Amino acid sequence: MHAHKENHAFEPKIVAFVCTWCTYAGADLAGTARLQYPANTRVVKFPCTGRIDPVFILRAFQKGADGVLVSGCHPGDCHYMAGNFHARRRFAAFRALLDFIGVDLNRLQFSWVSAAEGGKWVEVATELTERVRAMGPMREFRELETEEQWSGAIDTPELQAAYEAIP
Amino acid sequence: MTNTAQTIDPALYAAVTDAIRAEAKKVLEAGAAAAVVGWQAGRRQGTAMPAIITDPAKVAELIFSPACVNNLALYLSKAKKEIRARGRIAIVVKGCDLKALVGLMGENQLKREDLHVIGVVCAGVQRAGAAKDIPLSEETIAGKCRECTVHTPEGADVTVGTLPDLPHFTPVESEELSRLEAMTPAQRWSFWKEHFARCIRCYACRQVCPFCYCEQCLCDRNRPQAVETTPRPAGNMAWHIVRAMHLAGRCAGCAECERVCPMDIPLNLLNRKMAKELKELYGHEAGFEVKEKGPLAQYREDDDQSFIK
Repeated sequence: MHAHKENHAFEPKIVAFVCTWCTYAGADLAGTARLQYPANTRVVKFPCTGRIDPVFILRAFQKGADGVLVSGCHPGDCHYMAGNFHARRRFAAFRALLDFIGVDLNRLQFSWVSAAEGGKWVEVATELTERVRAMGPMREFRELETEEQWSGAIDTPELQAAYEAIP
Repeated sequence: MTNTAQTIDPALYAAVTDAIRAEAKKVLEAGAAAAVVGWQAGRRQGTAMPAIITDPAKVAELIFSPACVNNLALYLSKAKKEIRARGRIAIVVKGCDLKALVGLMGENQLKREDLHVIGVVCAGVQRAGAAKDIPLSEETIAGKCRECTVHTPEGADVTVGTLPDLPHFTPVESEELSRLEAMTPAQRWSFWKEHFARCIRCYACRQVCPFCYCEQCLCDRNRPQAVETTPRPAGNMAWHIVRAMHLAGRCAGCAECERVCPMDIPLNLLNRKMAKELKELYGHEAGFEVKEKGPLAQYREDDDQSFIK
């Protein structure tokens, strides 16, 4: 029987970018083992963490993700030998950049989950979901998305006067 | 010894101008270079603009002055193929421009033997919008020149000029960087949001950058579209993040992007921040030696992974 299901006021959207060889297989294992974890995670499969461009993470946030999880093979286990080593450096730099721009890094989680670590996948996905749930929705990027073109705003008295002077 | 006058002696620029002309004449007459890329006087008094001289009789057009702000390395990147097609090129570079050249060589964009590098000792150049025709001072010097560590270019074929005593300038850029770093993430977000909201997506920062030489920029692509192209705040934020990310570990800090920005967005702060982070993480500094691989194109097995669960 299913455990008691709690109703939350806010269900965060979590996008998980995973590598097909380790973490996807790990998540699959969690599924076949009937392990329970929050259904907030949307998994997107990539050949390798080295294929995950930082711009994907950015776009996930822009299009409404409240949290992003990036997960791949442990160092040394990469199917393509070194994809995750390159990804590690790239994400270290990207994290620093996002922090400097002012994004809360608690919404972005990186992890190594192997094909045998179904339990760890559950742990990582649950932890990120609950953390983001406590933080509330990601407002910053979503607000940007709804803002109009800068030149369309009549936000100074001079522009207002000019606008009203149009016959 | 410190300079008490608080301005930079303009004699350096006159001496360097003469030396550039002599060197350009020599290489063009000897056939050691097909063209000299340098600066010439602009049409308005006290301005300068890039020049490509192929005729030894015209070398007197070349100048060096505090208005010679352009990073000429741009003219040798893949984005400007027609210049390199002329053959061996002589190029006049300041210390900061040489760092860009070194970076381009590391990325296999240029071969050292195809270049004749005329390094000029530079005491500083003007900031954008400063009054022309007066000696450089605290008010008129560019932000990057206040903290310059490469007044004398290293590794040029010939280096001209002698550095005068320089006054002490306030390091405005690093002060601003520390101010931002001390803020909370929410404050930084509103700082950048306000700046990026002004962006008109003219891409001047991309056009002027020696490292933005991709024939097709990711940010111009649709299907799939990675970055929205309209000048809306969402797309602007994405463009500037992608730009900073693509220059991380490559940008040598010539600050041309910031100079050409018509909306005065402090772009060099992003570049400096990324350079600082990559130096702390991987001990990498761009532009000092020709390196086959930048910090994000290589790895070590024991790289820091404290942020990965």
